[in-house]
Amino acid sequence: MSNALELPTILDLIAAPTLHEAFINRRGQALAVDAGGVQRLGAQCLQVLLAARAAWVADGQRLELENPSEEFSATLELLGATPEDLTHDAQQNGKELAA
Amino acid sequence: MEDPMAAIRETFFQECEEQLAELESGLIAMENGSAEAETVNAVFRAVHSMKGGAGIFSLDALVRFAHVFETALDKVRSGTLAATPAVLSVFLRAADVLADLVHAARENGKVDEARTAAMVAEFDQINEAGESNASAPKPSAPTAGLFESAPSPDNETRRYWEIRFVPHLELYAKANETAILLRELRRLGEIEVGLDTSRLPELSEMDPEGAYLSWHIKLMADCDEAAIRHVFEFVEDDCELFITPPEEAKGFAPGTVITGDNGFKFEFFPPPEMNELEAETVAETAPAAPPPRESSAPVVKSQAVEAIAAKVESAAAAPVTIRVDLDRVDRMIDLVGELVINEAMLSQRVLEAGIARASGVAMALEELEHLTREIQDSVMAIRAQPVRSVFQRMPRLVREVAAQTGKQVRLLTEGEGTEVDKTVIERIADPLTHMIRNAIDHGLESTEKRIQLGKPAEGTVKLTALHRSGRIVLEVSDDGGGINRARVKQKAIENGVVAPDAQLTDDEIDNLIFLPGFSTAAKISDISGRGVGMDVVRQSVVALGGRISISSRPGQGSTFTLSLPLTLAVLDGMVVSARGHTLIIPLGAIVETLKPRATDVFPLDRDLNVLALRGGYVPMVDVAASLGYCDQFIEPEQSVALLVEGEGGMRAVLLVDAIHGQRQVVIKSLEANYRAVPGIAAATVMGDGRVALILDVDAVVRNARSEAGGRTPEPLALAEAS
Repeated sequence: MSNALELPTILDLIAAPTLHEAFINRRGQALAVDAGGVQRLGAQCLQVLLAARAAWVADGQRLELENPSEEFSATLELLGATPEDLTHDAQQNGKELAA
Repeated sequence: MEDPMAAIRETFFQECEEQLAELESGLIAMENGSAEAETVNAVFRAVHSMKGGAGIFSLDALVRFAHVFETALDKVRSGTLAATPAVLSVFLRAADVLADLVHAARENGKVDEARTAAMVAEFDQINEAGESNASAPKPSAPTAGLFESAPSPDNETRRYWEIRFVPHLELYAKANETAILLRELRRLGEIEVGLDTSRLPELSEMDPEGAYLSWHIKLMADCDEAAIRHVFEFVEDDCELFITPPEEAKGFAPGTVITGDNGFKFEFFPPPEMNELEAETVAETAPAAPPPRESSAPVVKSQAVEAIAAKVESAAAAPVTIRVDLDRVDRMIDLVGELVINEAMLSQRVLEAGIARASGVAMALEELEHLTREIQDSVMAIRAQPVRSVFQRMPRLVREVAAQTGKQVRLLTEGEGTEVDKTVIERIADPLTHMIRNAIDHGLESTEKRIQLGKPAEGTVKLTALHRSGRIVLEVSDDGGGINRARVKQKAIENGVVAPDAQLTDDEIDNLIFLPGFSTAAKISDISGRGVGMDVVRQSVVALGGRISISSRPGQGSTFTLSLPLTLAVLDGMVVSARGHTLIIPLGAIVETLKPRATDVFPLDRDLNVLALRGGYVPMVDVAASLGYCDQFIEPEQSVALLVEGEGGMRAVLLVDAIHGQRQVVIKSLEANYRAVPGIAAATVMGDGRVALILDVDAVVRNARSEAGGRTPEPLALAEAS
């Protein structure tokens, strides 16, 4: 059972430092990120999520995105990213979630 | 209950005033060549912001005109229309029309529709000229190097804009959001968003509030560049934005891989097919999305600003300001005034109690006094404003008067940053306006005459502000012909102001123009001859505790000098007593104090003495008698004399019983609390709680001089006031 991280409802500028810290604290282990409650996603939290994915790739750890909310997925797409960009070693899962 | 919409509307109009000022100063900078690269953007933004705000309040006439204006400005900004003097002249006049539209909207007044329509027609002309002169719109900064991508084979047949958007961290700190901008962009047409993560650092090294992501956007829309720039309007200073028009756009193939410095790779997603399902998603999510810009709650914004302020030590950080209701500031000034009085009372009590000067109480009191003075200065500083706001109205005035008189005029201003109390600012606009009208209408010669005289065809009017010994000095000078002294004297003789055989110095002749009903203009013109002469200007200046004087050199021009107190709230005064009444004499008016000797006093009349002083004679005024405190005149030898100077340099010697020292007093208006009293400028409350009257030195001197000159003195109906 991997660690879990539930994303806050609002992922804006204010939330970015906390989110960053949350990923730093969970490094070196597989992580499931729950985006079910996200109602707003901003570019600065997106870059934390992208950097986290790169870190998890570098660490060879599994990173999953669970249950992304409609708002999360729509903004992700609007900003030019896909759920796959936020996950590692879980492409199949990511595609299912995106569908 | 106050209507919140009315308050917002009022704020909008206040902001309009600021935008109009910015617009005008920007256009003037462009006209005289001192504009910076940013100026044209600032000018554009000013008009654009007014248009935006006007739209909210459905001020259609304003929106329509601002739109036309903005379109032309945008062409200048994008380089398709050259900012020639002719174009700038149209812009400046358009700024005047815009200002009128704003004022009409604010007052629900009428606008000159014909003038607006004529202005729009002028815009049509320059817009057309701009289009025929200009080549295709210039591409913005190249994107090559930032993005290596293979051209798509079918890009020639596709019409899309390429937008490269690189936000800086200030953009986010100001509570802007890329997602919102992209959503706005999507309203213009289909977009394909490419995310560039090449600058994204390692997780542990990144600043979570930094700005590492950038975007490359393809926009399939039949719009112009202005429409795209509108989307980024409010973030333009905080990002890099490159827009390449469709003709020159190069496609980038789906699947292009971007490799960052850190080895992190990112692949572009394939362009999504905009099918019906997705179109529906867009329609569903768009309304749910927070409205752009308004969504940034003030709290979030201020936190963000604080966050960035801690991080970025930006030297160019704009000063943070707040708007405060003037009544609140005035209330504070009143309270500080009370504090000063209270502090003075406390000092008095301590003195009366016989407490030693070196005692702890006295020393603490001294500290309190310093602190009080500091608070008072700080509070007064809140009300201090640069004279810029008044100076900024003058270019328009000059343009209008120049057009009416057919003269070419250049206005130079200096010292716009000079600060003075808000009440003074509000009340100098009218005198200055009149003086400038006068300088152009009467001061400057006609263009033909100037050329004949070998002067530059364009006349110069210079407006200067500076601080001099605790007062603000405003000068209006022109390089015209100077005062026609022969004509002024002739006119004065005709009006019976001076005797035909009077010997007057040049200065005295020049100062005749301040006499009531005096105008040398052969005919009353629309411009300065509105039944208002320089005497009215002088009166309003005097009412402010100011002085006005003129110096003139034939053939070289005239200079009007206005000297005003910096504030109308406090005054440095000499505390004197006259027959048991405490009076304050403004320190600025006092030249010297002296003890008159009996041998120097010469009686002229029953109640009138003059004092021989350094070879001249100065009328003596018994202050108590002139104010009606008593009928008996004081013996000059038993009194203390103060030589005072009124406006225009007129002097008199005031006789009082004793001088008690000088101090700063808080001015309490007599007009506001009682009624105007001739001979008394205002009142104040002394340390012992008693009211002391502040002497109107000019009125007293004027009265003394007219008595001495054998004319009927102006009645100082003061017995009632005592």
